[in-house]
Amino acid sequence: MARTDRVRGRIAATVSVIGELLITAGVIMALFVVYSLWWTNVLADREAKKQGNQVRDHWANAPSGPGALDTKDGIGFLHVPAMKNGEVLVKPGTGGKVLNEGVAGFYREPVKAAMPWDKRGNFTLAAHRDGHGAKFHNIDKISTGDPVVFETRDVWYVYKVFAELKETSRFNTDVINPVPKESGRTAPGRFLTLTTCTPVYTSDYRYIVWAELQRTEKVDAKRTPPKELR
Amino acid sequence: MYVWIWRHLPGNAWVKALVSLLLVLGTVYVLFQYVFPWAEPLLPFNDVTVDNGMPAGGAMTEWR
Repeated sequence: MARTDRVRGRIAATVSVIGELLITAGVIMALFVVYSLWWTNVLADREAKKQGNQVRDHWANAPSGPGALDTKDGIGFLHVPAMKNGEVLVKPGTGGKVLNEGVAGFYREPVKAAMPWDKRGNFTLAAHRDGHGAKFHNIDKISTGDPVVFETRDVWYVYKVFAELKETSRFNTDVINPVPKESGRTAPGRFLTLTTCTPVYTSDYRYIVWAELQRTEKVDAKRTPPKELR
Repeated sequence: MYVWIWRHLPGNAWVKALVSLLLVLGTVYVLFQYVFPWAEPLLPFNDVTVDNGMPAGGAMTEWR
């Protein structure tokens, strides 16, 4: 009798430990969600703000003229009124290290991005949809005709959205070609491409938005934004 | 398991509760500071670029 009790007690103890481990695993996964969707945003926004201020300081203090462009810190700021997220610093590269700082990166591979000041080409950008600043979270709020403005030290580049691709394979590198065929354009031009992951909270597919340069405006002494941002 | 830990904590119930709280906070700190940043790139939740299967920029971005 005493022996079966001891066996039963041991089984009960084992079951309760397994139960507690399962509950613990659940709590850790819940914490990971909190980390991914909230804490990484806190860290990334802090970092992006710091780096953005640094770039603006450089712009204010550096002598103007060609050759003074500092690409390492960031080449400028992206403004997309439809995403309602203020300004996004743009830096070189699309690796995790760059994008996790709450910035957008321009592609260097597999297809190298053209710069906005190049005569022709595609200025291709990537940023996080969720976590790490989630700078392109509201990419689905952008529709055809919306303005996208890129701000450098001396020039405002005003683009207009002309096509969206709501879902494509993540291996579809054609979307960042100099002439992205799927956007409907067949001749070279001055394009801008935004890429991020979709659906939200996953990385199964990619969401693409294409825009085309409408005009440029010189930055004045007060940095008055173009009318699209007012 | 947690009963075992509770039994082995020193002091009366209040001290035990306080020590437990500190243990929980410490665990959360270690998770947020070290474990999650390590685990995140290994999980396929946060890839945003188009690529041809090659890791971009040295970061691990691919799960075939």
